[in-house]
Amino acid sequence: MDTAVDSGTRPSWWVYRAVVSAHVVVISGQPVFAGVLLSGGYDGLRLHAAGANATTSLGYVQLVVAIVVWVRARRAWPFLATLALVAAETVQYFAGMAGALWLHLPLGVATIAGLVVQFVDVWRRSLREAGGE
Amino acid sequence: MSEITRRRVLGIGGGLGLVAFTGLTTANALTRRPARTGAELTSEVPLPPPFQIPLPLPRTLRPVGTTGGTDHYAITQRETTAEIIPGVRTPLWTYDGTFPGPTIEARRGRPVTVTHRNELPVPTVVHLHGGRTPASSDGYPTDLVLPRDRPMEHPHAGMRDPRAVQTVLTRDYTFPTDQRPTMLWYHDHRMDYTAPAIWRGLAGMHVIRDDAEEALGLPAGPRELHLMIADRAFAADGTLHYPALRGRPGVQPEYEAGVLGDVILVNGAPWPVHEVDAARHRLRLLNASNARHYELEAVTDDGRRLELVQIGADQGLLANPVVHRTLPLAPAERYDVVVDFSGVRVGSRVRLVNRLGSGRTRAVMAFRVARRARDDSRVPRVLARDIPAWRRSDAVRVRDFSFRAGRMNGGHGWLIDGRPFDPARTDVTVRMGDVEVWRMVADVHHPVHLHLVGFKVLSRAGRRPHPHDAGLKDTISLRPGEAAEIITRFDGYRGRYLFHCHNAEHEDMGMMANLEVT
Repeated sequence: MDTAVDSGTRPSWWVYRAVVSAHVVVISGQPVFAGVLLSGGYDGLRLHAAGANATTSLGYVQLVVAIVVWVRARRAWPFLATLALVAAETVQYFAGMAGALWLHLPLGVATIAGLVVQFVDVWRRSLREAGGE
Repeated sequence: MSEITRRRVLGIGGGLGLVAFTGLTTANALTRRPARTGAELTSEVPLPPPFQIPLPLPRTLRPVGTTGGTDHYAITQRETTAEIIPGVRTPLWTYDGTFPGPTIEARRGRPVTVTHRNELPVPTVVHLHGGRTPASSDGYPTDLVLPRDRPMEHPHAGMRDPRAVQTVLTRDYTFPTDQRPTMLWYHDHRMDYTAPAIWRGLAGMHVIRDDAEEALGLPAGPRELHLMIADRAFAADGTLHYPALRGRPGVQPEYEAGVLGDVILVNGAPWPVHEVDAARHRLRLLNASNARHYELEAVTDDGRRLELVQIGADQGLLANPVVHRTLPLAPAERYDVVVDFSGVRVGSRVRLVNRLGSGRTRAVMAFRVARRARDDSRVPRVLARDIPAWRRSDAVRVRDFSFRAGRMNGGHGWLIDGRPFDPARTDVTVRMGDVEVWRMVADVHHPVHLHLVGFKVLSRAGRRPHPHDAGLKDTISLRPGEAAEIITRFDGYRGRYLFHCHNAEHEDMGMMANLEVT
């Protein structure tokens, strides 16, 4: 956490925040499309599948950026948090394909919750740092 | 950041992780694998050991007459008592005194008329499942045949449905038989009470044949077996146990997902055994259960799984055979398969096993290979060339349907597009001759059946159909959360038809809709 102060100004941290934010936006579409599908809106299937591809891809992008943050700012937490998230999203992807709804639904909720926590975390830190702490 | 804050952060993270972990493990623990499609009743009579009782072969009904190329049959629907479980007398509702009812053997292009006489204490309706039938003979749920001494007392009798055509005591059903050879089945389809009527025994098989199919050289005669698989449960007094409500349609709340029995009957006998030659056999499988799904495999005594060579689907022969190791069978689905017993040691058994069952419901029936025998049968690489080549681009319309749980009449119901069945409401109007794509989404297992037409499966979950989706079908099994696309051409006859879920409990609790062909 000591490295948080100066890493807040680094470009890699800005990129990381941007990717986490985009990730939150994209993943929030998934329950929406699932709801559309289960209400009989067949197009929800295509959107949910596209959303799954986008979300999972962004997860891997976030993982790469987290590695950069780790290397440049010597901060490992984003990497570890993203690693857990990417693992969850990968399982989630295949659980969805296999129709294992008992896993797909709770894991989906937990994944979004975890990502929202990360989102709050990356922006909260930067605010504190901008405040000149 | 202070040390306390870091500890708190770790605490919060750990707490959230623990909640997520608990949720996932709970979901894992509560989930039924294999999935169950209802609640199971427990029989209160001693059940026989499996593979002791010989497989009954339903008798073929003989026509009572022939006029102008039409064969006339007569069936009396009546109560009877049968010994299904050894030593236990079970009252049944039957077609002509047996369960299953007698089999009707029809020839393509040769119309059949069946005069049904209702001597049961309740109104009935006969539907020929998979039949390309004029609307007046399709067995619309309000087209009741009323019992002689209790006419017009039922609330649905003409009140909610001005188009209902009711008769007293008898009704002639005409089946033109202008359709591909296949195995159909006939069963009761009465408004609100289909599930208990089928459960009590109102089901029989109806086979259509033609010269082209017979010329293929498939196993025939005693090597063609019609197998109606159905689960039931028996009360202490020997009656078929069914969790009906008193004085109104529906089942007790815990059975709303579907009623399962703990006894597996094939052609009305519990876990039967059948002696066969060590040769190819054609098994024409029908799942006549209300809610139970099967995933069948044929297993030898030494644990080998025999190939199930699928040659036909609900609506007749496939273009080419498809080889399966296991075959899923949803309510009302039929599969036409060839199993080769020639590699099985004489004297040993081949068990038909339901991989979705547990305990005693895993066993279905057994074949005892009795003797070596000559086998001139064959399974040609090309079975049929008349499967319609509908393409997505042929469709003039695409429709979406949802099949899901909901509220109905202040209670639990099963809905199509958010609405329970109403005979007086036209849900879908299609133009005669139009090709349409229907896209369907389910919340739990729903085997969806269309009257009048056969269809092809275009996709499942946005991907290619499964191997067992081949050919022409009239019932598609949607799995939980699954979406599927089908394509069909609406032709044959104009009038009022149905599409519905063939989980019979769902069907009785609203999951039907009107299909008007104009």
